[in-house]
Amino acid sequence: MPYPTHPVPAPDEYAALRARLGSSRVGVIGLGGLGSNVAWMLARAGVGTLVLADHDVVDASNLERQFYFADQVGREKTAALTDNLRRITAEIRLECFQAHIDQSNISRIFEGVDVLVEAVDSAGDKAMIVAAASEQLPGVPIVAASGIAGYGSPNDIITRHLMGDVWMVGDLVSEVSAEHPLFASRVAIAAGHQAHMTVRLLLGYPQA
Amino acid sequence: MQIELALFAHLTSYLPPAGADDGPGSSHARPMDLPDGTTVGQVIARLDLPVGPRIVFVNGRHAPDSHSLANGDRLAIFPPVAGG
Repeated sequence: MPYPTHPVPAPDEYAALRARLGSSRVGVIGLGGLGSNVAWMLARAGVGTLVLADHDVVDASNLERQFYFADQVGREKTAALTDNLRRITAEIRLECFQAHIDQSNISRIFEGVDVLVEAVDSAGDKAMIVAAASEQLPGVPIVAASGIAGYGSPNDIITRHLMGDVWMVGDLVSEVSAEHPLFASRVAIAAGHQAHMTVRLLLGYPQA
Repeated sequence: MQIELALFAHLTSYLPPAGADDGPGSSHARPMDLPDGTTVGQVIARLDLPVGPRIVFVNGRHAPDSHSLANGDRLAIFPPVAGG
């Protein structure tokens, strides 16, 4: 059996899969290189509702890899991304929070999501968000990322079920630094992994 | 008591040596004998793990350093790195 984890839907089943995604609600924390790209992939995949959170504004340097445009520099990322996603599909429901997410607000903002995507930049924030989600949103799958920087092999970026409700995307070790900057291509690979693992979880296939 | 210790990414080099009876096991997990009531923080200190952010789970749920471990627990520690 060549594809044991990828049952191919019959044509009449495809509509049912799209309907399932359409009734789904996904949270994305951080709307930078990972989160902004995860958001458009989930929008195109037909996810019905996205809960989007970031505290930042679009910077000119973000255009190297994030889903924003030159005329959006200076705008809040939540507002700019809303405009961009609506240009893909007017039907998608968006709940936007211009806020830094931490233990004090994560459960209020993301209560009821089917999957939570961790897409923040700092290692400390990644650990804090996974811990807070595990404590306050029990049973909600978390798709996180760690190790996406530099020009290493695309094939070192993988998705693994790490522990509990946590799935982890990345090569686990490539930390962003002056010597290992973020490249649009490798970040997009990781974003694609996160978006696709999210789709699989929504469709009931938790195997990475 | 005995727990299972799983360390990920660059932390795998801090795993205690495998015992002769441990079998093939996993490359990132080992059984570890500890005094009853040992806390997560005490295990981290005993392993002399490097300072830095950590995702720490016991039996699939986040656990603080003050959490007291019990026989048969699975302690998993993952060190996230920056980039997003």
